Amino acid sequence: MNGPVIHDAHTLPVDDNVNPYAFSVDLDGQWFLQKGKMIAYYGQIDFHGIGHGRLDRLIAHSFHSPLHAADWVVAEGRGKMLLADRSFDVNSFDLEDGNLTVRSGNLLAFQPSLSLKQSIVPGFLTLIGTGKFVAASNGPVVFVEPPIRVDPQALVGWADCPSPCHHYDHQYLTGVLGGVRAFTGIGGTSGEEHQFEFVGAGTVLLQSTEQLMAEIATGGVPQQAGVPSATPPNQPSMPRMPGQLGDLQRRFGL
Amino acid sequence: MAQFRLQGSKVLAVDLSGDAVKAKNGAMVAYEGEMSFKKMTGGGDGLRGMVTRRLTGEQMEVMEVKGRGTCYFADRATEINLVTLRGETLYVESSNLLCTDAALRTGTSFTGLRGASQGTGLFTTTVEGSGQAAIMSDGQAVVLRVTPSTPLQVDPGAYIAHTGRLKQHFQSGVNFRTFIGEGSGEAFQIRFEGEGLVYVQPSERNTIGGDV
Repeated sequence: MNGPVIHDAHTLPVDDNVNPYAFSVDLDGQWFLQKGKMIAYYGQIDFHGIGHGRLDRLIAHSFHSPLHAADWVVAEGRGKMLLADRSFDVNSFDLEDGNLTVRSGNLLAFQPSLSLKQSIVPGFLTLIGTGKFVAASNGPVVFVEPPIRVDPQALVGWADCPSPCHHYDHQYLTGVLGGVRAFTGIGGTSGEEHQFEFVGAGTVLLQSTEQLMAEIATGGVPQQAGVPSATPPNQPSMPRMPGQLGDLQRRFGL
Repeated sequence: MAQFRLQGSKVLAVDLSGDAVKAKNGAMVAYEGEMSFKKMTGGGDGLRGMVTRRLTGEQMEVMEVKGRGTCYFADRATEINLVTLRGETLYVESSNLLCTDAALRTGTSFTGLRGASQGTGLFTTTVEGSGQAAIMSDGQAVVLRVTPSTPLQVDPGAYIAHTGRLKQHFQSGVNFRTFIGEGSGEAFQIRFEGEGLVYVQPSERNTIGGDV
């Protein structure tokens, strides 16, 4: 019986998976990563919390979503770095002058040549440009092409196609009796009445379970007329300055 | 000599021919042949070991499995990694140790600040001698070699075990930004220098260090 494969600083793969759960980055320069996802590294690498004077220019270039900047870290230096997330499957994807929208909790790391923006869909982030990024999923990722309707819990993200719309499949829940059925559950509901519907050309990424990964906050959006916002307008929220870095509570870890 | 092999990646099969292994209490899932299971009080290191384990917080619930046939072990569907020792010492957290050959000696050693940062205490378990041991990880473990020219830094929450002549330092990048809530989340690392192997799991335990 042979032991497991032993890796060292030279045999670790270059920007590729070590096993389905760990990804090795050959760092020479900078990468963005989600807080706390580095498990080990060789070489000289520094980790900076975002909101740093020296990194302001980089962040202005790659980050257009300053309100949640506190969840991201810049790794800077030379060496090999291993990334992993709670033993979920990790995969790398290459974008070539493209765009991809992904659930905020699933994105692990990306090259600064990509720029990260808040999606208009709450809880999702959009990456635009050319470069590599790493995303985690609960079980391997399945790629499908629209037109397709998907279960909300299985959706990881989508590339190049228009944002989805909601689809309700509840013909049998109409009328008075149907209303009673939907409201009380008497007669049974399938639990699959609501889907996301994708149309147009592109690729949809699905994970192979319906267990969601914990979301990370994507930050608030300016409270303006015409801006779809995650918080209903009648809920009290702390006033924010445009471009403010994180909420005060979060800055102080409360 | 007990023969360790993996049945899939989450079940350990041990072939016994009248000899014994030490295993985590309750980890047996099936066996063929004749086996006897005996609880070993205090981690099976004798009275002195028992007192040390109590004092250091490295208690392990261990049983001795003896007999003829094949015994299967598994624990909460965690991945199992085999380690073959030829006279060297394996340092492992007691919670990650599944099974060891009876010919291997187990004990405790002081780890210093590393333990404090990962919330597993200031002490760790050592396994010495010649034979096989099985350790558990959350997700398939990655084995990384450390040489004098390539030291390795590991997140305390992802570390599970190491072998060889390695010196560990605790390094911290805590600065004033950590205290205004803009820490990097990677403020604490263990730096390994020397010659040896480090086992890392693709997941992080909750640590004090993980949040700053």
